[in-house]
Amino acid sequence: MSIDTTPPPHLCKAGVNKPTDTRLLEQFLNKGKMMGTFKTLEIKESVFENNNIQADLLRDELKEEKVFLLNLMSSPGSGKTTTLVRTIETLKDEMNIGIMEADIDSDVDAHTIAQTGTRVIQLHTGGMCHLDADMTRQGLNGLNTDNLDLAILENVGNLVCPAEFDTGAAKNAMILSVPEGDDKPLKYPLMFSIVDVLLINKIDAIDFFDFDLDAVKQRARKLNPNITIIPISAKTGEGIAEWTDWLRKQAKAWNQT
Amino acid sequence: MHELGVVIGVVKKVIQVAESNQLQSVDTIVLQIGQLSSMIPTYIQTCYPAAVDGTMLEKTKLEIEILPANALCKACHQVFNIIENRSQCPHCDSDEWGLLSGKEFIIKEIIAQ
Repeated sequence: MSIDTTPPPHLCKAGVNKPTDTRLLEQFLNKGKMMGTFKTLEIKESVFENNNIQADLLRDELKEEKVFLLNLMSSPGSGKTTTLVRTIETLKDEMNIGIMEADIDSDVDAHTIAQTGTRVIQLHTGGMCHLDADMTRQGLNGLNTDNLDLAILENVGNLVCPAEFDTGAAKNAMILSVPEGDDKPLKYPLMFSIVDVLLINKIDAIDFFDFDLDAVKQRARKLNPNITIIPISAKTGEGIAEWTDWLRKQAKAWNQT
Repeated sequence: MHELGVVIGVVKKVIQVAESNQLQSVDTIVLQIGQLSSMIPTYIQTCYPAAVDGTMLEKTKLEIEILPANALCKACHQVFNIIENRSQCPHCDSDEWGLLSGKEFIIKEIIAQ
């Protein structure tokens, strides 16, 4: 996701990379070698790299355990929890499902899910706006993945930060709801570029909003040519069969290979 | 505001490097942050004192280098900054380009005694 190498100097010509005191120091010092009392230790490590390593590790373990983890992201109020309830209703007789609800505060979503009889855990991020791989691992430990086929992480409602951090999920999904507007792929390009599937929720309300479905599809595909786009209504059930088919196929493929 | 959690991660990593290199103290940490990174340099600076509080890096300075959001134009093969040029090549007006840099968040180096 992030590019870890510093661009060669000629690529910096359009940039803002000003020489710093450190740069000057480097002209006189060989990196890592003593000169006077100071030395420079080159680290060159992407800060996200540690999270990426943890995420890959978690993915491998889940693969071994045959647990398909889906990371579900969206802005607040797009209908993540309602969509999950629909999804559970459709799939609960064929899969063991566990849900992790991540929020800054409260446990209202976990209560809603618990009413379906599904295994659920509420995670509090303590003000953090996203979950990373380590927090996801803690959540899975708390949920207990024994005999689980499908684990779904309902990430913090936010279209910005969750896109930056790999949680270790097998697949990433996002919900965009009609009232949010068709300009969201333009405003939050990273989110749309990292997800495998985009659910367009509240499609039953499309006549009441200036929402251009074709424009959203075009904008999302420009960022992410392989994205699967499914219009749904968690309220009426429209599109839920297509969505659960997608999920069923992905989970099957994950647990077979 | 996700900077604090990330800066705490940076502090942990630097302490680990300092310990494995048996450094007594660290004078400066140098970070490289891309213009397209979700990390805001001023926020990083603001929460840094809280992240180093009570650690061996309490007196360590933090220096941030900004890396440009540069892209290579697919039409005319020139390099341009996508923020300054609103995602459009200033040489040929194409909006087809590949990103070269700008998403980084890197611990570049530490300067130590």
